[in-house]
Amino acid sequence: MLATEATEQLPNIPPQATRPKKTVKAQISTAILLNRSPTITRTPGQFERAYFAYEQRLRRALHNPFPYDFYFKQGTLLETRFNLEERKREKLAFGPGFLEKENISEEKRAADIAAVETLAQQEGEGEELMPRSHSADEAADVKSLDRAGTRNLYLLLQTLEDGKDVWRFPQGEVENSQFLHQAALSDLYAECGDQMDAWIVGKAPIGVYQPSQDAKSVTSQNTPERYIFFYKAHIMAGQIHPAKESVKDFAWLTKEEIEPRVDRHYWEGVKDILSDH
Amino acid sequence: MSSALLQSSRLRAPALKPLPAAARKYAVPSDQSGDPKQQTIRRVLYPSNVRSRSSPVGTWRPDVGRALQRAIPSKQAHETIERAWLLHKRHLRQKRDAETERKFNSMKKAMDTLHELDTRLYMEANKKDDPRARSQEEVQMMKTMKVSEIRAVEARIRGLFPRELRIPTDTPSREGWKYEWKSFRRPV
Repeated sequence: MLATEATEQLPNIPPQATRPKKTVKAQISTAILLNRSPTITRTPGQFERAYFAYEQRLRRALHNPFPYDFYFKQGTLLETRFNLEERKREKLAFGPGFLEKENISEEKRAADIAAVETLAQQEGEGEELMPRSHSADEAADVKSLDRAGTRNLYLLLQTLEDGKDVWRFPQGEVENSQFLHQAALSDLYAECGDQMDAWIVGKAPIGVYQPSQDAKSVTSQNTPERYIFFYKAHIMAGQIHPAKESVKDFAWLTKEEIEPRVDRHYWEGVKDILSDH
Repeated sequence: MSSALLQSSRLRAPALKPLPAAARKYAVPSDQSGDPKQQTIRRVLYPSNVRSRSSPVGTWRPDVGRALQRAIPSKQAHETIERAWLLHKRHLRQKRDAETERKFNSMKKAMDTLHELDTRLYMEANKKDDPRARSQEEVQMMKTMKVSEIRAVEARIRGLFPRELRIPTDTPSREGWKYEWKSFRRPV
């Protein structure tokens, strides 16, 4: 079957012959999307929290009875602690009126609670976890890599192009001897310094952008077409120290923070390669 | 069996009856003797009041009916909640799939453009690297590097994500982002 298909296509003119020849070779540059991946998990929404709580009490209603006498020896402090915590969890799941009142005196109950607290202090269980929002979030410090822990941050540089201040991703030219992914990494180091652990994902570009040509240069036949190939890179440690001569400012931004800073045409070319979250 | 054989066996000896359980010395269920830990394990693994086999091991809690009444508002409400959750998951999945499709199309367009522009760069971008191979540049560099640096270069395998790319956790690390990092240029 394949042979007949091939013979049917032979009379067609191959596409290369009909394409108009370009007089000037295209100019290829590489740009880098330096991404700081999320460091903390996403915050569940209101519906998700409600559903998780619902599922938790449903599971608690339906699960096998816990063999507490296998895990906790009767009469020990650990058993008392487990009982206290379990009663709290049952109350949380099914409401205050669900469990029967324990037939122990008030003094004994107070003594139990005190003993469990002493145990907690002895075991050193008061270790505090770090809060999910960093001081950089309150200060809205866009140069910090601790801001917006749940989101993907992308590096944006402010440079002077044709006399105008533009915000763009780091980019640079490709030398003749280099391949594109090698050029991408060396361009990144050239514009942002090498005081960072950056890793380029694979060897294939993730997007291509053609800067809009001015009307003046379009009419002349000799201007080469510019293609900017984007490469994705991850930063895992360090910070960028941009080259002072070419780069005025930098920022680590999320996708919706990039949109207002960047040119309209650039945004349209670049928005599909950024992560929404 | 023929009647002759039956008659002969009846004449020979009385029929053997099974001994009552209390008289046996073997296979005696006892609550007093035996390791209490073993008894607990046996009771946990094989509970005596298995009412329904829907639960994989053992049984429901003793007040399961009452607990269930408190847990769910009604059967219809439970089904509505389940459907709402599945719908929510579907929305998330569709958003994620749309984003992946956009990214893939962007990548495809880039590779198609590269193929038209420069064949040599395209072939290199398309090539699948052997993770064990070392390029000429790497071999040259490794001759003049310290042992720790050689180990750092060998730790990063082509085609695999680096170990330093951390999985998100529920709370951030105590030290936060590592801003100080000694520069080390790897051969790409």
